[in-house]
Amino acid sequence: MSFWIRRLASIALAVGGCFLIDWFAKENLKDFIVRLVVLAALYITLAVSLNLINGITGQFSIGHAAFYQVGAYAAGLATVTFYKSQPLGLALWIPLMMLVGGVTASVAGLVVGLPSLRLRGDYLAIVTLGFGEIIRIVTQNLKVVGAASGMAVEPKMSTPMIWLAWLLAITSIAVCRNLLQTAHGLGFLAVREDEIASSAMGVNVTRTKVAAFVLGSAFAGMAGGFLAHYEGFLIPTMFTMDVSFIILTMVVLGGSGSVTGSVIAAILLSTLPEFLRDIQQISMAGLVAAAISIIAGVVAVRYVSQHVHTPSTRRIAYPGAIIGSIILTVVLSKVLAFIPTLANASTDGSRIRLVIFAVTLVVLMLVRPQGLLGHREFGWGSLRRSEA
Amino acid sequence: MAVDHLFAAGVNFGSLPAQVVNGILIGSLYALIALGYTMVYGVLRLINFAHGEVYMLGAYTALFVSWLIYGNQVAPVHTFWWALPTMLLASMTVSALVGVILERFAYRPLRNEPRIASLITAIGLSLLLQFGGQLFLPVAPPPNINAKVNPYSDSMTFYLKPPAKPLADKASSLEAEATATEKAYNEALSGVPSGEEPGPTVTALRNNYFEARNAYEEAKGAAANSGVSVTIPKGQLIMFVVTMFLMAILRHLVMFTKQGRAMRAVSHDFDSASLMGINVNSTVTFTFILGSALAGAGAMMSATFISGVKIDTFYGLLPGVKAFVAAVLGGIGNIPGAVLGGLLMGVAESLVIWVGWGDYKDAVAFLILIGVLMFRPGGLLGSAKVEKV
Amino acid sequence: MGLAEEVRGLSQAVLTLDKATIRFGGLFAVRDVSFSIQSGDLFGLIGPNGAGKTTCFNLITGVYKPTAGVVKFGDTVLNGQAPNRICEMGIARTFQNIRLFSSMSALENVVVAGSLRQKSSFISALSYLPSAIKETGEIRARALELLKVMDLEDIADVRSCDLPYGKQRRLEIARAMATDPTLLLLDEPAAGMNPQESEQLMRTVRRIRDEFGKTVLLIEHDMKFVMNLCERIVVLDHGVEIASGGPAEIRNNPKVIEAYLGEAV
Repeated sequence: MSFWIRRLASIALAVGGCFLIDWFAKENLKDFIVRLVVLAALYITLAVSLNLINGITGQFSIGHAAFYQVGAYAAGLATVTFYKSQPLGLALWIPLMMLVGGVTASVAGLVVGLPSLRLRGDYLAIVTLGFGEIIRIVTQNLKVVGAASGMAVEPKMSTPMIWLAWLLAITSIAVCRNLLQTAHGLGFLAVREDEIASSAMGVNVTRTKVAAFVLGSAFAGMAGGFLAHYEGFLIPTMFTMDVSFIILTMVVLGGSGSVTGSVIAAILLSTLPEFLRDIQQISMAGLVAAAISIIAGVVAVRYVSQHVHTPSTRRIAYPGAIIGSIILTVVLSKVLAFIPTLANASTDGSRIRLVIFAVTLVVLMLVRPQGLLGHREFGWGSLRRSEA
Repeated sequence: MAVDHLFAAGVNFGSLPAQVVNGILIGSLYALIALGYTMVYGVLRLINFAHGEVYMLGAYTALFVSWLIYGNQVAPVHTFWWALPTMLLASMTVSALVGVILERFAYRPLRNEPRIASLITAIGLSLLLQFGGQLFLPVAPPPNINAKVNPYSDSMTFYLKPPAKPLADKASSLEAEATATEKAYNEALSGVPSGEEPGPTVTALRNNYFEARNAYEEAKGAAANSGVSVTIPKGQLIMFVVTMFLMAILRHLVMFTKQGRAMRAVSHDFDSASLMGINVNSTVTFTFILGSALAGAGAMMSATFISGVKIDTFYGLLPGVKAFVAAVLGGIGNIPGAVLGGLLMGVAESLVIWVGWGDYKDAVAFLILIGVLMFRPGGLLGSAKVEKV
Repeated sequence: MGLAEEVRGLSQAVLTLDKATIRFGGLFAVRDVSFSIQSGDLFGLIGPNGAGKTTCFNLITGVYKPTAGVVKFGDTVLNGQAPNRICEMGIARTFQNIRLFSSMSALENVVVAGSLRQKSSFISALSYLPSAIKETGEIRARALELLKVMDLEDIADVRSCDLPYGKQRRLEIARAMATDPTLLLLDEPAAGMNPQESEQLMRTVRRIRDEFGKTVLLIEHDMKFVMNLCERIVVLDHGVEIASGGPAEIRNNPKVIEAYLGEAV
């Protein structure tokens, strides 16, 4: 009985939290920030759901934007076609359409999951990428959904339903957490570790992989369904390979297999680069200085990890290398500003947004391939230990 | 869906040979790029996602060298015979250098990490060169290099089946008439003082000329359609010949030199090769030099001889993807396979255009990829490896 | 009279290989191998390197499908069954080149195997219903119990790739035991162990048979280990069965001595 009380209380807390975020954002924040709050929730959902496929089950998929797109278009098309001839209000209709998006995307996930039964690692990666591109190219030529010129989703939500986006995000986190807490979830991890051994131990590898793809793509599809009604307009260029890579970067940064890591990385990477869009002029001197300092920082950190073995020295050396490279950035940007060609040239912030993702991926692999949290969880990891 | 596009353009079997030849020409380019993917995969088991960007930088090198040689003129007054070879060498050198740098500083440190780490790095490098390159490199819209320095922009037509005799005769007689009316019209036009409206006689002559020309064009088209012909842009023919030449050199290097033997040994078994005293690092570097130089050569030639594509930092994206598919199709890690796969890829693509599904041209590459991986993961010439239990 | 005698008394074939054959290209890795294992047997499968012993295991556990012949578990034909189905029927194995779930803890490794026949549904796991929580707790308790049997309870939370070699081998046995098999296949369980460890392992394997009533089929190169432990032995060479019988017979069989060519049998 106390179980159900605790369960209901935690659900109530989650829903209440979502409405609190909604209320707070709308009362206090500028439209631009509100948008970031919504996008953060969507990216959390996307990153956590990709993590289920990539990190937890170990099926390296890099075409996640495709499921996002399928969900968005399915929900959008359903709204355009059916909304007028049914009695439901928008507040009920949109969650319903998110389910439609989720179900449609999970069918796509089933199709993409099938190759994972025969392929591994890089081969699977390239196939998922290929599926993503095929879906995008087909949408681009499909007249029903406006082909390359896009499709208006009418009606869109009148004010952003922030709570709904966050409810989706929290649900996706909760589902992954629940899975990892039970014996079922360990089967997913086992498939990641060794397929042959898991099948010899009775794990149904086929079912596990397909379940991961279906579940992961369903969440991405629901996020897409939300997006369709949030933006009110869908166009294939919203779902290019870049989006897949952004989601991948989040998972990798957070640490494949770590749900909390994905959440933190999704929040960081969906918001920080957006602020750069506002900066009109970023001087080339600064950019070049940053590039040089990043390289120096990577070299320093790698040197420490390979040649310094005493823990106490390491504790100083690692932050030292990072702080050093930040200082180097500042100093170098001042020095380089004396070179006229660099000082006068500048670029706007929106152009370096994707550069940041690319640099994150490469630097992370060179410095800390396991990501921020590795396989660990922040806050609930102890529950997987033996002292029950 | 795709079904309403089915045979939309109306399939013309007379144009089939032309499309196949076209496909082989483009396919040789894919094959050249595919060799880089396949060799790197052979020795490192790594899909070098950044290979397309090595290609892109090769194209930029060609562009910059052409600017150096000819300045920024729209069309050079005269062409230097050494311009194209210089561009080719420059592109190959720069691409090889980029390839080696990527390997030394990004892939080598990760060689003992799980393979997925290298793959993610490769994806990251590819994005970095695409988006980071945007900050520094200009966008050169068409006409870029090709209109300036390509002295081989015209094409040659071969007839497999000559046009029907009566139609050809009719066309040539109409051609004479068109030339005559054109001459008459031009003469009359030059008689008109500048600034004055041409009189009714001149207008009549002009209408005559237009009519005759239209009739000639129509007859010419009919004559051409009655025969089967293949039109090859001279530049692409040169591209094909150079490609074949480079592949022959590659074959010699791989089969008959010490480094080539080492490369084959490493690709057969990385660890054993290193235990047998092969310098694995220099062999991997050698592999990257070869593969990247070939991509550079391909980039220079496609930037020079294939018109209508703007040179930007995404220049290598689609060719890279298609070449990768070609490598997988032939059996990744297998050098003759890459050549076969490239040619097949090119032909498949032109056939898709020929059938009238041009909009789905780029999706076809991925469909082939998925099909191959699902049903014959080892590719046409390769063999799939079975994990030992 | 112990459980083992009782089990053996039933004397019913647990596993039967009838002319099992597998060919890779032109090479017969295993050819016309026939033997049957009775319930409660401690059965040894030996032979020089490359004789086809591990391939036999792979045939039995469904990693490979026999080219010809029949593999039967009780009365069920195993040919073409998926490995996880075969495991579910009651055959569990260890691997020659240890295949633990390396970044998972020892306990988690055992829990994965222990969740084989769980009843709670996937949906109940996703929504964390009491049924799933309770069953996970039970599986975990059983897993801890098994770790205790294998003398591994102190390293339950250690990542399996951080364990010393001997403990990894024992953990593999614990993991296989967690699927509650009728027949346990051990692929070179004593490889890389020192004499004391292998002595201890011998006792453990006997205990698995006597206390838990499992039938054991094992591959081993350590002749002392096999001769002391196994009651029946089959010898393979180049994929073909060259001898079978008790330890004493095998020891004196000229064919076996020839196959091992000077190795002390």
